[in-house]
Amino acid sequence: MGQEPELQRFPACNTADMKDCDVIRIEPPGLRPVAVYCLDGEFYATDDTCTHGNASLADGEVDEDGVVECPFHAGTFDVRTGEALSFPCVLPLKTYPVVVEDGTVYVDLEHGRLQEG
Amino acid sequence: MPLIEIENTGERFQQNDIDDCILRAGLASGLGLSYECNSGGCGSCKFELLEGEVETLWADAPGLSARDIKKNRRLACQSRALTDLRIKMHTAPEFCLPVLAKRQSLSLLERRAVTDDIAEFRFQVDNEAVFLPGQYALLHVPGVDSPRAYSMSNLPNQNGEWAFWIRRVANGAATTVLFDQLRRGDRLILDGPYGMAYLRPDSPRDVVCIAGGSGISPMLSIARAAASDPAMAGRRLDFFFGGRRPADLCGQLELAELSRGPGALVTYHCSISDPDVGSGWSGERGFIHELVQRQLGGQLSNRECYLAGPPPMVQATQRALLLDEGVSQDQVHFDRFF
Repeated sequence: MGQEPELQRFPACNTADMKDCDVIRIEPPGLRPVAVYCLDGEFYATDDTCTHGNASLADGEVDEDGVVECPFHAGTFDVRTGEALSFPCVLPLKTYPVVVEDGTVYVDLEHGRLQEG
Repeated sequence: MPLIEIENTGERFQQNDIDDCILRAGLASGLGLSYECNSGGCGSCKFELLEGEVETLWADAPGLSARDIKKNRRLACQSRALTDLRIKMHTAPEFCLPVLAKRQSLSLLERRAVTDDIAEFRFQVDNEAVFLPGQYALLHVPGVDSPRAYSMSNLPNQNGEWAFWIRRVANGAATTVLFDQLRRGDRLILDGPYGMAYLRPDSPRDVVCIAGGSGISPMLSIARAAASDPAMAGRRLDFFFGGRRPADLCGQLELAELSRGPGALVTYHCSISDPDVGSGWSGERGFIHELVQRQLGGQLSNRECYLAGPPPMVQATQRALLLDEGVSQDQVHFDRFF
């Protein structure tokens, strides 16, 4: 049996699989789903469930300025900070630290944080 | 009459002559078009226009961002179809109206001052008043361009009475007419009911109602319904009201009358937010969501929560409940107005 992935270093995807403005959803067992974004060669991670309704942000659009739009109502968040930018979204998303090593994107699921507000 | 097709779901509906926008046309035909405020503010009824022509009722509605406009999105509550349309829009069963909205003519029975800026308005229609406690209606006020959303404060009834606690807006077009010009017997048009923040009597949880300002109106309706429903006997309902000054406090008398009801047991809590309130005020101080957390912190995830009030209050309370207290989204009920 393979070793369980560490939550602080959860492998999300390969860098080669994502191009600019892509977003994927990962579903770590027992935890909330997380959205991983590729933006201008950098990777970011936030909670995947919109804070307004029960929608998956990975089904939404990511624009070049680092904004993800919820597929339900096109409310927006900054993928880098989690900040809610436009109606109907007003509560921020949790963001997670990301590191890239040897072509793999790892998300630290234990250190998600909310922007102060 | 224009036919509107929702491309992503295949649903279709007609905009009739009486319908003032495609949102209300769709809702009235029984479809679950996503919406919340019905007044251009919240952005929940955005759609993408794929084909056809619409007339925009309020071009600068705050619910639409520059990005939305660039992507050809519009608000269904501020768009009227001029031709047949093909649109892309989110729909879900939870948005289907539990009681179909309709337009009817009301006449003013009575206006009674509650505080120095809130008054109770009682209107009469010819047939039964049908709505769910916590819902709102749109009032078409004579001489005012667009309808205004106000929440009912009373219970549905066979006498045809619709009551609202309305706060006067300084220089507001609609409230100036309602407070200063409308006389007993004058008529206006009601379109409703709408809104999803209605009482869920089937939920087994204790209840919290949190109100600020004129947000007391729908919370009063919810408390009245919970206290009079024998099926809710044995449950607690904590009613929190936040005012800026002591003179803003209201609702205590109405809630005290509920103590003899067969349903939920209602307890009133209040707090004053003005930091300059004098030593004459011996009660709780601070924002209402802070008092909620002081009193019920740690237990809120076991509560059904209803909130109504000005946007900063609703936002701060929403944040406290969902983020600090971990209450699940489906236990928190509110309609935001701007």
